[in-house]
Amino acid sequence: MHELGIAEEILGIVLAEAERNQAKKVSAIRLRVGVVRAIEPEQLSFIFDHIARKTLAEGAALEIEEVPVRVVCAACGEMESRSFAWECPKCKGYEISVQGGDALEIVSVDIEV
Amino acid sequence: METTDKMRVDVERSIQQSVEDISETIRALLAERGIFALNLISSPGSGKTTLIEALLSRYEGKGTVAVIEGDLETEIDADRIRKHGVNVLQINTRSGCHIQPIQLLNALRRMDLSDTRLLIVENVGNLVCPAEVPLGEDKRIVLLSVTEGDEKPLKYPLIFQTSDVLIITKTDLLPYVKFDMDRVRRAARIANPRIEIFELSAVTGEGVPAFLDRIESFGDAKRPRP
Ligand SMILES: Nc1nc2c(ncn2[C@@H]2O[C@H](COP(=O)(O)OP(=O)(O)O)[C@@H](O)[C@H]2O)c(=O)[nH]1
Ligand SMILES: [Mg+2]
Ligand SMILES: [Zn+2]
Repeated sequence: MHELGIAEEILGIVLAEAERNQAKKVSAIRLRVGVVRAIEPEQLSFIFDHIARKTLAEGAALEIEEVPVRVVCAACGEMESRSFAWECPKCKGYEISVQGGDALEIVSVDIEV
Repeated sequence: METTDKMRVDVERSIQQSVEDISETIRALLAERGIFALNLISSPGSGKTTLIEALLSRYEGKGTVAVIEGDLETEIDADRIRKHGVNVLQINTRSGCHIQPIQLLNALRRMDLSDTRLLIVENVGNLVCPAEVPLGEDKRIVLLSVTEGDEKPLKYPLIFQTSDVLIITKTDLLPYVKFDMDRVRRAARIANPRIEIFELSAVTGEGVPAFLDRIESFGDAKRPRP
């Protein structure tokens, strides 16, 4: 249930931005979330909906852009993967490294003023 | 008449900015005092407290060690550690599945750290949430016991990506379980090519001295600023 802590952080940032811009309402929030963060988008949206009730962000949609990991294989070069890999998705070799996929960022907030 | 305009505000910041800021405050506090800090992370029961006890029963400068125990409830682990005569404080996170930087900062401010050179933080048993939260530590240590299965680095890559040291514990139980050591080592190195890997058993003591030597060398690497 680590989505709760993350939802609370998001709400805090979003409400601060809304207030700074004298928003009447927040309509959408864009996030960038890496696949290794183990965040379940539906779960995050569900919890966010719940804690955002009776705030300016009530009903705001979370738009989540998933960021893949980069698999670098000695034989095949670089490729993207939607999950962590322990062998190269192409040649099944072990001479790989897996990088990135750990983003956890708020990109933008859509508001009505 | 009142009109409504839509607008997009570019934010472009880490969701964890406030958490990262506090962990930087901790890092600065520790640096100022020349304290080397370890953050121990694993599933419940992998052997964190047992390993800390092994360390304390052999560690030369025991008076210079402070331990912070994180658990949902109870002082059980702190009581275990207190028997070794070191400075120990328990953080109960209640429903929190990891130690928050603000909880650690408040604990450090309550403790007498004047003689402390090495701070050991035992995080709440969990491989997911503690991985996301930096505590200003110098070394992050993940423990994986052989009874937990060898696919864990694939299921929880973030903790392996972000740890400096992997300790594979309970190697005395290897004859009884299916655990492919090479597979784990390989997966951990794929997640993090710089990870240092130790294998040990707190029951037989095998591999423990090598790890303790390494801990002592960590501590030597950090001395207070003149
Ligand atoms: N067989 C075996 N058991 C161990 C070892 N290390 C710890 N244990 C046992 O594992 C259980 C959990 O250990 P503990 O240190 O409390 O785990 P923690 O929850 O990670 O702090 C205890 O019953 C320990 O005695 C080991 O190396 N081998
Ligand atoms: Mg423990
Ligand atoms: Zn390949």
